[in-house]
Amino acid sequence: MSFEVPAGDICVLVGPSGCGKTTAMRMVNRMVSITAGDILLDGRSVMDRKPHELRREIGYAIQQIGLFPHETVADNIATVPKLLGWPKERIRARVAELLDTASLPQELAGRYPAQLSGGQRQRVGVARAVAADPSIMLMDEPFGAIDPITRDRVQNEFLRLQGQLRKTVVFVTHDIDEAIKMGDRIAVLKQGGVLAQYATPAELLLSPADDFVEDFVGADRALKRLALLRVRDVDLWKAPRVRPGDATAQARAQIAESDLPYPLLIDSDGKPLGWLSERDLAAERVPERADTAATPVLDQDSVLRSALAELLEEDTQYGPVVDARGSVIGVLSVELISQFLASKDTREMDAVERAGVEA
Amino acid sequence: MSWLEVFAQVEIHRRTDTCVNQNGFCPDWIVNNFSDRYVDPLFRHLELVLVSVAAGFVIAFALGIVAHRRRWLVGPIVGVTGVLYTIPSVAAFLLLIPITGFGLITAVIALTAYTLLIIFRNVVDGLNATPDEARDAARGMGLTDNQVLWRVEVPLALPEIFAGLRIATTTTVGLAALAFFAGAGGLGGLIFGDLVFKSNVVVAGGLCILMAFALDGLLLIAQRLLTPWVRARQA
Repeated sequence: MSFEVPAGDICVLVGPSGCGKTTAMRMVNRMVSITAGDILLDGRSVMDRKPHELRREIGYAIQQIGLFPHETVADNIATVPKLLGWPKERIRARVAELLDTASLPQELAGRYPAQLSGGQRQRVGVARAVAADPSIMLMDEPFGAIDPITRDRVQNEFLRLQGQLRKTVVFVTHDIDEAIKMGDRIAVLKQGGVLAQYATPAELLLSPADDFVEDFVGADRALKRLALLRVRDVDLWKAPRVRPGDATAQARAQIAESDLPYPLLIDSDGKPLGWLSERDLAAERVPERADTAATPVLDQDSVLRSALAELLEEDTQYGPVVDARGSVIGVLSVELISQFLASKDTREMDAVERAGVEA
Repeated sequence: MSWLEVFAQVEIHRRTDTCVNQNGFCPDWIVNNFSDRYVDPLFRHLELVLVSVAAGFVIAFALGIVAHRRRWLVGPIVGVTGVLYTIPSVAAFLLLIPITGFGLITAVIALTAYTLLIIFRNVVDGLNATPDEARDAARGMGLTDNQVLWRVEVPLALPEIFAGLRIATTTTVGLAALAFFAGAGGLGGLIFGDLVFKSNVVVAGGLCILMAFALDGLLLIAQRLLTPWVRARQA
């Protein structure tokens, strides 16, 4: 096994249990001793370092969290700064800052781990791992022990933080969905620590290296690709946009040119008000209100998978897409998504490649 | 105080006090005689207990730390301290007297030996009770082996260690009542000095029981102060 992780990326080690992904990760900070081969950090071998000094520079978060039951949240978070001999005042400020960053209330500082919820403990564990601001993080199924709903939120929070902090992360999981969501790059391991493929999530989904990877990624990998693309990456339908008071004749003319049978009523800021029906167009001027609400309104930054979920939930075929200011930029339909799923052309591949890094 | 003296004193009182003459429970007599007869032996008894438990704790804790690092030592240490524990205390005093003489030292050596097994086992169990993930996280964050021991394992072992200390202390209060056989004094000398006189037995025996309760209570308070996280769990 040999691969390189670019600084600031999340590299996910994924594979079935017993494939050695945790062992591989634990070699980075020498929790598992290296008998052959080498690991370089910034070009320097980890073997040249004293293990405890090396470890203080590498954040370490594990599934069972391993908070110290006898220490308060503040003392737990302060573990590595204390080892490094930071002055008390700096440690206190850092703990307060980390509680904020991890969206934990300050009064938790004096509590003991047993008094926290599972999600809070997880966040304290991550806060403790980043306390001394290590440039490298090792995370072994850090979100494995929390319920799926909380996990989704904690994952998003972590990705949001990672967007600012740009740590180099080695992330171990057995969950391919988590790997695709969290990873900038994914290393798929087979039994015996064999590297089956090392690629971006998009590459992995579009061109698995072998049967093992294809199997591991799953039969629904087409669906998984929806998590890699954002709504704005799709060639959206052009909506026939009309404003209250426009001539209905003009609205009818727009319908003829568009992909949609109904015009979308928008306000002066371009925000969607609703879909106009035949009856709404009976008068000479477009009315103030539309017959049908324009739900769901889709955010151009959502991933396609959640956009599809929103459409299905509203039991509708299409919905207006808005930009950050809330103005309509187009319409996404279930039909467009299914076209995307069916398409195999290189243009789509490029789009996925581009989007994959951010997804 | 020799047996004869005790006997003589009792005789004097018996001539003047019917309650005392009948070997009854006599509050007046207790009030009049308490400070002269019982205070010094009480403090001697306390001294025996504190010195023995402290010495036993130091030795057993050190052995526990060593055995925690070298697991194979646990068996032999439990074996040896277990044998010490089974020797009848009076026999131990008599065996030691030719070597260490009649007095405090002999009693303390024997009493200390009795605390070793209990404290040692609790120290070892306590150090093992650290959750694996806490130990793994500690090492993964760069604590050295010594730091893991003193900052994680020992604090987390405190509840177990205190449990051992409490049993050892209570047991030693009782055993120290036999220390007068080794010439070390204590409340035992008074109890056995006049087993027939109820007032004497109640006061001397009662002081032993009170001492056991008091020391146990102090240890419990110390444990609560030193292990705040244990109670936080229920909060």
